Amino acid sequence: MKRHYENRIELLQGTLDLLILQTLQWGARHGYGISQAIRINSGEVLQVDAGSLYPALHRLERKKWIKSEWTVSDNKQQVKAYRLTAAGKKQLAAERSNWEKLSAAMAGILHPAEKESEA
Amino acid sequence: MKLPRWRQRKEEELEAEIQSHLDMAARERMERGETAEQARAAVRREFGNVGLVKEVTREMWGWASLERLLQELRFGLRMLRKNPGFSLVAILTLALGIGANTAIFSIVNALLLKELPYAQPERMGTIYARTTGSESSDRRRNIDGEQWELLRDNVPSLISAVSGMRTSGVNLRAGSHVQYLQAGRVSAHYFDVLALHPIIGRNFSEDEDRPHGPRTAILSYALWRTAFGGNPNVLEQTVLLKGEPYTIIGVLAENATTPLNADVYTALQPSREGEGQATNFAAITRLRDGAIWAQANAEINRAWSRSLRAQRYAKSNPGGQVTYYSVSLQKGLTDTLRPQVLALMLVAGFILLIACANLAGLTLVRMLRRRGEIVTRLALGASNWQIQRQLWIENLLLALVGGAAGIGVGFVALRGLLLLLPEHFLPVATVSLDARVLGFTLSLSLLTSVLFGMLPALATRKVDLRSSIPSRGVIGAGSVRLRQGLIAGEVALTVVLLAAAGLLIRTLIHLETMPPGFNPTGVITAKASLDDARYHDPAAFRKLLNESLATMREIPGVQNAAVGLTVPYERALLAGVTISDGKEAGQKIMTNEVYVTPGYFDSLQIPVLAGRAFTDADSPDAQYVIVNQTFARKFFHGANPVGRYLNENILTKNMLIVGVVGDTVISSAARLNAGTAPLTSEETIYLPAAQVVDAKFLSTVHTWFQPSWVVRTAGPVEGLTGQMQRALASADPNLPFSGFYYMKDLMAATLATQRIQVALLTAMSSLALLLSAVGIFALVANMVVQRTREIGIRIALGSTSRKAMIHIGRSGVGASALGLVLGLILCAGTLRAMRSVLYGVGVYDALTIFVVVLMLSGVTLLATIVPTLRVARIDPAKTLREE
Repeated sequence: MKRHYENRIELLQGTLDLLILQTLQWGARHGYGISQAIRINSGEVLQVDAGSLYPALHRLERKKWIKSEWTVSDNKQQVKAYRLTAAGKKQLAAERSNWEKLSAAMAGILHPAEKESEA
Repeated sequence: MKLPRWRQRKEEELEAEIQSHLDMAARERMERGETAEQARAAVRREFGNVGLVKEVTREMWGWASLERLLQELRFGLRMLRKNPGFSLVAILTLALGIGANTAIFSIVNALLLKELPYAQPERMGTIYARTTGSESSDRRRNIDGEQWELLRDNVPSLISAVSGMRTSGVNLRAGSHVQYLQAGRVSAHYFDVLALHPIIGRNFSEDEDRPHGPRTAILSYALWRTAFGGNPNVLEQTVLLKGEPYTIIGVLAENATTPLNADVYTALQPSREGEGQATNFAAITRLRDGAIWAQANAEINRAWSRSLRAQRYAKSNPGGQVTYYSVSLQKGLTDTLRPQVLALMLVAGFILLIACANLAGLTLVRMLRRRGEIVTRLALGASNWQIQRQLWIENLLLALVGGAAGIGVGFVALRGLLLLLPEHFLPVATVSLDARVLGFTLSLSLLTSVLFGMLPALATRKVDLRSSIPSRGVIGAGSVRLRQGLIAGEVALTVVLLAAAGLLIRTLIHLETMPPGFNPTGVITAKASLDDARYHDPAAFRKLLNESLATMREIPGVQNAAVGLTVPYERALLAGVTISDGKEAGQKIMTNEVYVTPGYFDSLQIPVLAGRAFTDADSPDAQYVIVNQTFARKFFHGANPVGRYLNENILTKNMLIVGVVGDTVISSAARLNAGTAPLTSEETIYLPAAQVVDAKFLSTVHTWFQPSWVVRTAGPVEGLTGQMQRALASADPNLPFSGFYYMKDLMAATLATQRIQVALLTAMSSLALLLSAVGIFALVANMVVQRTREIGIRIALGSTSRKAMIHIGRSGVGASALGLVLGLILCAGTLRAMRSVLYGVGVYDALTIFVVVLMLSGVTLLATIVPTLRVARIDPAKTLREE
């Protein structure tokens, strides 16, 4: 259990929103599904705990970026699934571009030499 | 706590969502081979605290803040209940402070803010004039007959109307029913300017408003209901009004009010003759559609530039210029009251400041005592913001409860205030606590919570977690000094209010104790309206006076009886006279004028200083006049005027001065001399009633004045008023007395404004004094409680409890003394503004200041000594053991 935590990276504020929106890009998912998808897609590095996930989902829903509805899951269970709205898609695009700018900037700072040699 | 339905559904949904998460996670683990029990436990562990997850998720819903607010409100209420002494004092203080403001503001609202109850009140006006040159002035003007005609015919931008200056008492006879009531005389279009339409009938026509036009009357709704039983067939009925038949042509609506507020209206029939020779008409105007005020003002100035009055003004004031302009009717009607009402509002504001200073002190102490609680909450993780929020919510709660109580206090205070005012004192029909007043009170409550909450909130921001827990909440010297500063501030304001009230009281005493110039004891007067066609005939008038007085003199116990057009303490008729002979010949004089029967000076015991009084032997053909002492002094420079001649300009009679009588006190409401006290001794001439043989003069003065029958008795006479009424009835059975008055009633009526000023300012300054005393008391009482231990040590070390009391009491006395000094400095600066309402007393009156200092010292000592008495009960052994 302890080792499990060691590999995890604390999520930057606002990053969770981007991850959720990105995850929902491929279709509606319920909260558990979202957390599993983030964990698997990040190679077990990012683990979203419920105490962050559900407030984030409810906040995004209030901003009308995602919409929820009750559906029946594969194993015939009532689940609350979230899907991206049109506004959510726009927000996702905006946040992605922000993130790309940020990571490019971070890379520039962390590896200045590499960048020079490239030029 | 019960949740609303929508909230409950959301809650169930969250529960289901989390449950489905847990189920799915558990199923996956079970699929990987874990037992159901193992899986559930692991999932729980992984998920974390379900309650906490729900809690943080709920916060995203948006109404979490509302719920927290409710919770904080409940906590605040609990804190207020836990501390009933503090809460009660705070709420009472606020109730008094806010209540006083609510009552005064409701008057400001009714007079200055509320629109007049007419359609498009912003298009209604009245006429002001600004004069430059030797006599500069800027005030509302009444107009004469010529000006009225020019205004009516040459100012097309306005619908204009005029009325008499005030209502007059008249007798109404409908069948056998005789009633005394107030009649208003108005021109045609008067009700059009007010935009009032009769509920039945019509307004006066222009034809009815011409001199000698048909006599018609319009009834107020109240008179129609009471005297005519609301009969819809009242139109075209004839009633006897002023002794003549009038045809009823209309009835006003129930809620219709006019600036005159009369019971019945007749056509004014204005002309350039008679009363139209002088400025006896009050004008009101309404802007016609499409016109603008600037245009109307230009038209007025052009029209009146040709008038006789303008020519006369130009001649007597070379270089002076008159500019007429329109002012909104609302401002015109309330102009004289405005400064007084605003001054009252300022005083009420002072009271609120004092209340806030008190509360700031009290809440400061309370906050410091709660330091333990605050520190505990900080230690348990509350943020500074949450603590501040809680404190402000409690302040707000206090202010709102105090404000609600203040509305109650304000309502009662307003009722009392309106009872105090004479009828028709305010030019508005009702003063009510309407939405605007309630809004004002609410904002005031919010403002007070900020004012008194600011200091304590600032003080608690400095609470430090580490240093505070071990301390026992001893209050530092800094906060005591702060509270002393607050008390000094409120005492300073109190001193100003007390001094102002003192000066007004001195003024009232001066006016009430002025030597009246006659003997008011044993005199009763009764008025009857002679605005009656039957008494325009001088012979009938003379006969009425002679017969009624002869009968009155026969009433057992009556010493003498007389009639005068006016009596002392009242406003008198103004007339112009010219000195006919000697070196002052040709001098024109405006003077008070009174017609009297021969017994007048005797009945009132006004001394005859030179010459003689009138006698029954003076024939109606004789032309005699008596002047008072001031007249003789002012216009004959002290020389004996007996034997000289005066010409009365309206009666155009040359009259021989046969005597000089002492001055009596009369009302200055006629404004003969500018800037005089409301009661004054002014130049007055007396004519014998028998000598007034001009029918037009009689009819004119009797529309303005109702003569008084003056009766002097040696002692109380059983049923005197009834016997007087019967005596009058023996001369005319259809002439009722309108009322009986003792001289002190007349004086009270004339000094009504002064009495109200005194009553209000005395009440307000007493309130300020009370609040200041509470402030001092609370400061000292707190000091005693907080310093119990210190005092115990002092006494244990050999100090006496008397010394300890003085040591503690010094804080209250010192603050009050500082406030007194500050207040006296403030007085020096501000009391000058009162100069125009003070008579017989200077602005810097030593006696007033002395009494204020004495009162304040007394109250301060009392408020200091009472709480320090507890010091004597402090047992040093016990207090030391407690440590």
